[in-house]
Amino acid sequence: MEPNPNPNPIDWTKVSAIIEEHRTRKWSLIPLLQAVQEAVGYIPPETIEPIADALHMAPAEVQGVVTFYAGFSLKPKGKCVLKVCRGTACHVKGSRSILRHVKNELQLEEGETSQDYQFTLETVACLGACFLAPTMMVNRDYYGKLNPAKVTTVLGQYRKNREDD
Amino acid sequence: MCLVEDEATGRIMASCVTPAASGMSVLTHSPRILNHRRNIVRLMMAEHPESCIVCNKGNRCELRKIAAELGVGESGLYPMPNPIPFEQINPFITRDLTKCILCGKCIRADHDLVVTGAIEYNNRGFRSRPATLHEKPLEDSICTFCGTCVSICPTGALSAKNTRYAGTPERETDSICGFCGAGCSLTIGTAGGAPGQSVVDVNPSKRKVSVNGATLCMRGHFAGDFLNTSDRLIRPLVRNPDPFSRETHLPADWDAALTLVATRLSDVRRTYGPEGLAFIGSSKCSNEENYLFQKIARDIIGTSHVMSAGWGFGQRLLARIDEKTLGSVRVSPLSDLENAEVIVAVNADPENTVPVAGYHIKRAVRKGANLIAVDAARSDLARRATFWVQPGLAGTAVVLQSLARALVAKDHYQGQFVAQFCSGFEEFSESLTNSPKNPAASVLHSSVQAAADLINGKTVAFAMPANLLDFSDGEETLNAILNLCFLTGCLKPKSSGLYVLNTENNLAGALDMGTAPNFLPGRVKITDAESRGMDMGELVSAMETGRIKAAYVMGENLLRCLPQQDRVAAALKNLEFLVVQDIVRNRTTEMADVILPGAAVYEKNGSFTNMEGRIQTFSPAASPPGEARPDWEILGQLVRAMGYPEQYQSIEKIRKEIRQAVPMYQGLGNHYQEWVRNRETGNPFICGDARFSFFPPSGLKTPSPDPAYPMLAHIAPVRYHLGSGTRTSRSERIRAWGQAGEVELPTAAFQSLGGNGSGKVRVTSRFGSIERTFRENRNLPEDQVIIPMGVNGNDAANLADLTGGWTLAWVCVEKIG
Repeated sequence: MEPNPNPNPIDWTKVSAIIEEHRTRKWSLIPLLQAVQEAVGYIPPETIEPIADALHMAPAEVQGVVTFYAGFSLKPKGKCVLKVCRGTACHVKGSRSILRHVKNELQLEEGETSQDYQFTLETVACLGACFLAPTMMVNRDYYGKLNPAKVTTVLGQYRKNREDD
Repeated sequence: MCLVEDEATGRIMASCVTPAASGMSVLTHSPRILNHRRNIVRLMMAEHPESCIVCNKGNRCELRKIAAELGVGESGLYPMPNPIPFEQINPFITRDLTKCILCGKCIRADHDLVVTGAIEYNNRGFRSRPATLHEKPLEDSICTFCGTCVSICPTGALSAKNTRYAGTPERETDSICGFCGAGCSLTIGTAGGAPGQSVVDVNPSKRKVSVNGATLCMRGHFAGDFLNTSDRLIRPLVRNPDPFSRETHLPADWDAALTLVATRLSDVRRTYGPEGLAFIGSSKCSNEENYLFQKIARDIIGTSHVMSAGWGFGQRLLARIDEKTLGSVRVSPLSDLENAEVIVAVNADPENTVPVAGYHIKRAVRKGANLIAVDAARSDLARRATFWVQPGLAGTAVVLQSLARALVAKDHYQGQFVAQFCSGFEEFSESLTNSPKNPAASVLHSSVQAAADLINGKTVAFAMPANLLDFSDGEETLNAILNLCFLTGCLKPKSSGLYVLNTENNLAGALDMGTAPNFLPGRVKITDAESRGMDMGELVSAMETGRIKAAYVMGENLLRCLPQQDRVAAALKNLEFLVVQDIVRNRTTEMADVILPGAAVYEKNGSFTNMEGRIQTFSPAASPPGEARPDWEILGQLVRAMGYPEQYQSIEKIRKEIRQAVPMYQGLGNHYQEWVRNRETGNPFICGDARFSFFPPSGLKTPSPDPAYPMLAHIAPVRYHLGSGTRTSRSERIRAWGQAGEVELPTAAFQSLGGNGSGKVRVTSRFGSIERTFRENRNLPEDQVIIPMGVNGNDAANLADLTGGWTLAWVCVEKIG
């Protein structure tokens, strides 16, 4: 399922401010990119050239850095970023079926974002909460000791939050 | 693959990152190491597509070579194909990244050698691949198609797109490129049985010492396929006496053609005197050819009308510089740019004129040199500058004069150099302080001061375009640059620090050999007014009035490169006899009474002198097509046909004569590379009493443009054509590249014409008009436009004044359609 093109126009004042702040710092490319990711939710491809210009780098080089790290995304992410852990402990405790359940509930494949930009589904190698296996992370919150019912509850919570907006 | 084994400890180390230490004993081919290498190759091959049989890289594939050396036939592993879409729409480079082994050489070439920054590794691990910005195809990126990555790629991932030939060339010969003034060393790959070996592949040569190293540019690398165009002249042609026939010219054999030429030239000479003939030689033909050419003109015929179109395209500037520097700084190796700490580029656009010089400059900047660009239009190079100074209303000369004033005022100049080698410093510095400060220049005050601080005490180099004198303040700008050279002490006998971006391969050599109106071979100025030749504008007038009755044109497509093409055509028509010696049929050959087929660079012997003052000799890589002959051979046979006793049957004979007659070229032919010699007499570095003199600034009046033609148009070279584009427009690849040559307008003008780039504009000057599509260039000042040269039959040249500067024109721009 291909999401629609970016629903929100890029806030250039914010981005320019971030670029100005980092322009003269040394080794500032990654902090700059982190700040943009934080502010906008992703690294808009249109910002790559201004960033490269400010740091006297070639735009292709900036893109190389952005694509190298999984933490940076060139595509807008959903409001809720779900990370289902597929590490060793979680796998042993059944995270594969948790993942399958999440996929069914959200009608999303791994790496996809929903049409309405509410949910993004990702898998990660380890969340570092193995004693709570199987775990999943939604934005900054950890959810552990999951079973299909609990997953439905959690997802329902986030869906309800959206309806309230 | 670089693994080595430490003999003592048995440790296996990566040799590319392990520093050598004394006492180390390293095994490079121990059984363990070979086993590891074999496994690595097996892994590479498991990911590599099994298409060796149809791969263009064929016998040149390094992966195949290493696999063969290590004895790896089948990988024996589970295949892990990594298919990536094939890219082959652009006419230059075919990209099959499925074959990429991630050696990183293409990226290193792009970042370190040519410093463009078009590609970089994207993603990581198994999915890692070189990619452009936004992963667009190469033609939608800033790739300049220099082809350096293609030559360096060890597998078939990157290959030159070749519609005529697949696989490894049969033979490879070294030669020198015949396009711009860099004089890159090439290896020409040829295939096809003799006669008519065709050139199928061009790569940078593997010579240890060359101008270009492992780099090339779009023209040198890919435009060589013009040699195979069907427009090549393959036999002598004589004008058909039947005016109603469809065939304007009939084939003739060499003896008949040469006899006809000799007879007719002698006839004209007898009837109208030697001054009734003109000889137009070529800044693209070799030194030997130009020498022989002007010898025929001056010695055998006895005329003073000798020149080349190169005079208007830059030889004039070279001659002025040589005069003003007393002929003592003729050598300027590009490699010295890498030692310069500050580079001052004045209106220089090497990316489009001499890309390889641009690479040297960019590499220096990458190493930490400061680049000060004084440029109205912010060229590609100026965008990388530490400092970009836009001269604005003040004009370039005034900006440079202010820089000189700042250096003197702050005592940031090389006092010792000035004291030892220069005269007139006191008057000069007085004139600087006394001359009224140009109000427009004071706007740039702080940038000029900052630039002066940057320069203080550093090694400086200066780069300027070959068309500097076309600008209204050109002479003043040149003076200002030379003053700065004196002040910064950058001039040295073997390394002048002065770089003129010669747009043509033998601009300097043709001047040195005397194919110039005011100079004999060796840059000996003709002072006697009687014996001085005319410049091109005067020559065309003389043809129009009938003062000149016959002309011999070698290697110049006058009707494409000169302005006011209709006028030139009418003038040529007025001649009683016209001989044109060239390699492709073009507009100029069509006007000739006799057409003689010459040979292109890769098909003959000769030597060129590049922008550095380096004389490079070359041998043929292929044979000329049909009955065409090397131009020096034709001239030699013409000499014999005219009854002159001297025989020129070998190139060595001509070289010997040049060595004796031209002290500057004493070293010609001794080695494949030699340097021109500086003047001996009056040379401040040799003679104690000779001095460079400063050039006090003279009051400059900025010309007020005709209100009917308010904008200044730069008829600018582009990297995909060489000058007027006679050769490059016949390259299949360049034609497929299909650039429209859009007119570039400044923002205000662009907005006033609708602001969306649709439709066309008509650009009109006093001398002609053209129609082109257009786009915006945000870096242009309000009153300037850029019109690409070479495109569309080089119709842009018609905007310029034949008697003035050929690369600038005052125009008005209006929207049509």
